[in-house]
Amino acid sequence: MKRHLTVEDLARDGRFVRVNMEDRMNDPRNVGGPGAYGRDAAEQAGEGGRAGRVGLGRMVPDAPNAPDAARSLMHGIFVGEIQALEGAGRTCYDFDLGDGADQVPYALKLDMARQCWDEARHCEISVKLTEWMGTEIGEFTESPFLFQAACNPDALLRLAGVNRALEGLAIDVFNTMRDFGDKAGDPVLEFCEDWMLADEVTHVKMGSDWMRKLTVNDPERRARALEFQSVVDKLFSLGGGRSDDEDSPIRLARRFRQMAGFTDSEIDEIAEVSRQARNEAEDRVAARRAAMAAAAGSSPPAS
Amino acid sequence: MGKVTVTPEEFSLVFFEADRIAAVTAEIAAKVGIEPDVQVEIEEASPLGRLRVRSVEPIELWAQGGALEDPRRPRYLSERHLAQSLGRLLFRVKDRLNPDFADAPQDDDLTLQQQNIWDIYCLGRLERAGYDAAKSRWLYHFRTRQGFSDVSDAAFDRLWAADGLTWADLESVRTELAEARSAA
Repeated sequence: MKRHLTVEDLARDGRFVRVNMEDRMNDPRNVGGPGAYGRDAAEQAGEGGRAGRVGLGRMVPDAPNAPDAARSLMHGIFVGEIQALEGAGRTCYDFDLGDGADQVPYALKLDMARQCWDEARHCEISVKLTEWMGTEIGEFTESPFLFQAACNPDALLRLAGVNRALEGLAIDVFNTMRDFGDKAGDPVLEFCEDWMLADEVTHVKMGSDWMRKLTVNDPERRARALEFQSVVDKLFSLGGGRSDDEDSPIRLARRFRQMAGFTDSEIDEIAEVSRQARNEAEDRVAARRAAMAAAAGSSPPAS
Repeated sequence: MGKVTVTPEEFSLVFFEADRIAAVTAEIAAKVGIEPDVQVEIEEASPLGRLRVRSVEPIELWAQGGALEDPRRPRYLSERHLAQSLGRLLFRVKDRLNPDFADAPQDDDLTLQQQNIWDIYCLGRLERAGYDAAKSRWLYHFRTRQGFSDVSDAAFDRLWAADGLTWADLESVRTELAEARSAA
């Protein structure tokens, strides 16, 4: 059987449609996506939030687009669970046993096998949750970013990119959606998120533990892994939509991250990376608006 | 059936076709029974999905681009979402032209609950007019707005199947649901 599959090698039926990050980033409209997130700039400004972030408001049930935003986000989580299953499965198979740089210990494979079991259960939960929320499988696009991070030929970087960065993002998203379910009075969403959140904390803890074990005598390799994790954290901070800020769509779940083995300084660093990503995203929007206004021969629309 | 005018005539940020939007709007308007001219303005710069009846005399509809967009193909038109969005507005126009809806607030003044109840009443009729109204999607919307309860689900079924309601009927449903939420 082939080792080190690419995204193109993954099996999907005709219901799934992929979109890549480049297309999303090159969307000339404001930040956000179809049905994405809640309040527009005026509403956020009225609530003390920052203006100019059309489409990226707090995930609260009484936001005008809240139901579709929740459906879209949960579909994104569903396809992420599929890729997480595929990624952990590949890490079980792609590497020989051993202590070399291109090998992994048997106990690491056991952890990845346990993660496969969890992710398969999350896929089943997500399918049922999707149905509960009135969403069809494939109704929204699939972004393959999680599996792309799981394609790294270095197992340690996979753990840094997937278990520490993206499963860490999953902690933040599940925590946010659990609160959303609680506030909306949706018991199914709330409980599903709570159960999956518990598993994600374990997955991130696995990443944190293995990162330390595998690099105990190799600080350079650890530095490379942390640098890769930082890049993934910034790329997938949802344009800064995941942060410590009160008006963020996805709040950084500090307590759960601490339980998953993150130090306070590591969490602070993620918050800083998200803040940078948010500022860059807002600069991009401002530049797009200025370009649109210039093309139309008028001044930029107010934020 | 009157003429349907779509603004902008050409889209630069999304791959929508004004002629197609006009054709589908005209088709639905004919089924709804709206005869005057209809003006549709699309805010193509927004990926969000707000809708509004700006005026009924003349008929002016407004939609953010995301309301017509294919979630599987960002920036492309979805016939399904186009029908659901403009169909809802056209049924709302039909209701507003009825004196039984004289007390209905303007679109900007509708609460989320009022708008949601009215949407479900419109979408049920849209489905019976032959369009895919995505009932399960709107059930989730309804539960999020009105509560996750048996009372809420029963109200949804009644609204979806209803015809010939008045604004007072919709307000009565809203009151019933608010009381159920308070009791819970």
